Amino acid sequence: MDEVVRPDVDPKRIASVLTELDPDADRPANVIETSGLNLHFGAKSILAGVNMTFARGTITALIGPTGSGKSTFLRTLNRMNDRVSGFRHEGDVLLDGQSIWAPSQDLLAIRRRVGMLFQRPNPFPMSIKDNVVAGVRAHGIAKGKQLDVVAEIRLREVGLWEAVKDRLNESPYRLSGGQQQLLCLARALAVGPEVLLLDEPTSALDPLSTESVEQLMRTLTPALTLIVVTHNLGQARRVSDNTMFFYEGRLVEHGPTSQVFDHARESDTARYVNGLMG
Amino acid sequence: MTINPATVDPIRRDSSSRRIGHFVRRHEEGVWRVGGRTASLLPVAALLFVVIVLAVKAWPAVKVNGFGFLTSTSWLPGNTYGGVEHVHGVMIPAGARYGAWPLIAGTLQTSAIALIIALPISIGTAFALTERLPKWIAQPVGFFVEILAGIPSVLIGLWGVLVLGPFLAHDVYPIVANHVPNVPVLRYFAGSVGYGEGLLTSGLVLGLMIVPIIASTTRDLFLQVPPLPKEGAEALGMTDAEVARRVTIPWVRSGIIGATVLGLGRALGETIAVAMVSGSVLGAIAPNVYGTMTTIAATIVSQLDSAATDGTGFAIATLAEAGLLLAIISIAVNLLARFIVRRSSRMSAPVGRA
Repeated sequence: MDEVVRPDVDPKRIASVLTELDPDADRPANVIETSGLNLHFGAKSILAGVNMTFARGTITALIGPTGSGKSTFLRTLNRMNDRVSGFRHEGDVLLDGQSIWAPSQDLLAIRRRVGMLFQRPNPFPMSIKDNVVAGVRAHGIAKGKQLDVVAEIRLREVGLWEAVKDRLNESPYRLSGGQQQLLCLARALAVGPEVLLLDEPTSALDPLSTESVEQLMRTLTPALTLIVVTHNLGQARRVSDNTMFFYEGRLVEHGPTSQVFDHARESDTARYVNGLMG
Repeated sequence: MTINPATVDPIRRDSSSRRIGHFVRRHEEGVWRVGGRTASLLPVAALLFVVIVLAVKAWPAVKVNGFGFLTSTSWLPGNTYGGVEHVHGVMIPAGARYGAWPLIAGTLQTSAIALIIALPISIGTAFALTERLPKWIAQPVGFFVEILAGIPSVLIGLWGVLVLGPFLAHDVYPIVANHVPNVPVLRYFAGSVGYGEGLLTSGLVLGLMIVPIIASTTRDLFLQVPPLPKEGAEALGMTDAEVARRVTIPWVRSGIIGATVLGLGRALGETIAVAMVSGSVLGAIAPNVYGTMTTIAATIVSQLDSAATDGTGFAIATLAEAGLLLAIISIAVNLLARFIVRRSSRMSAPVGRA
């Protein structure tokens, strides 16, 4: 902010103008809040008693052994579990202070506001450009020539533009795995989400691609709020502000990432982050 | 002389089959190679054989009927009581004049109607079976769809002529005919509705016959679409219909085209059911969608008996020529489908991905 400090302008006024311009100004500080959230598949309890807040513009890592319930938790946040047979929930998830299950909520609108990136790249069977704008088209956000602009902006945003600008109308399946995942990220960003859920987004990628996805994640905040499930403890440590540790269907511990990793309160957490439990 | 089995040396008894087994094992690769190549050439040989035999049998008719066979609408067997004439060195009954245009048109019309009806119903059925209905309903319904594919066409034809045709002619066609506006295409739905035997009834019966073929294949294709791209589309906020239209169907587009061609081939060549519900009227094109007509396949089966009474053999040759046309249409449809698949599969996913 150095360059806006000018003698002829009152700094207080600048602050008030910036506050006024902040698109998130009159929104709750926590973009997502869960209260007393219990998740079940049939008679089996997956996760119990999760009370958690996700501050706007932060990156939260969800860690824990396989089967600890972290992925189910993540997929509940954009209601991807709703149609899974036997899925039940108690408690609530608030998005900007409103329950995601409230009858007045439009599921498609929620999915637009809470985007998702998956374990493996999942491009659609259409051209690279059509992939980027698939959601934009579906929601009727833009059309015609505007779509070309949207595609270029989003592909530049994820650093894929130079690699694909000459083959926008070709199949996405000839791109490398890392490029495909970046394409899926561009597609998710194109509809303008507030929250992005990432379900082990780099587990199928090589180290270099992983590095570029992690870099991108950092540039996406504070405009977006990121919640990322990862088995890569180094990744959780590198990219996240906060960490949640799940174990055996419970949220064992959560807090600032450095605290969870270096000064864990629970012995299970300490054992897991130190590689003594897998 | 009786042989006591107990006295036969078990090794000697087996020796001949053992020797064959030994030979196969020693020359396994060669046996597979020769056997495989022979087997793979059989379909080619069969197709060539059928087309060549048809062409040879049809040759006199091709010479006499000429190019006009494709455009003429007359179907006159001529004088079958001895009067003959010679055309291009071929002896034919006096006054015999054949044109296949109504048959070609009827074949294409009924198949087109069948496809227009069957394709959306089949894809909708496959979609419901794989994505919508709970498993305990989808499984028995899917089973019935497959059973329907195996019902002999003569039974469907019988049902068409005894039940469906009269029902449509009394309760459906008149209502449609009295309410369609006088605009292109729909104009053909106005006018006399007849007795339920004709073009539309044939198309409907054919459509019913190819729905199970296309639906069961499409269902199997839909089941192969991996969940991850579909979830990706859902997570982007697409509706179920959008997921189907933009991801699921394009994922297996070439397979759906293949299934459609399979169904179309059945519709083009279906014989007995059409012969039963078409009205079997030769030499005329249906004036509206209810009009009586016939197809190439139905004509061949319904005219074969009387053609055999033509002592010059010309009527049989003409039926063979019609059959040759049907073969050419079927092959052309397959080639066209191949072309479409090649053009549309540019974006399709490599098998087994994601």
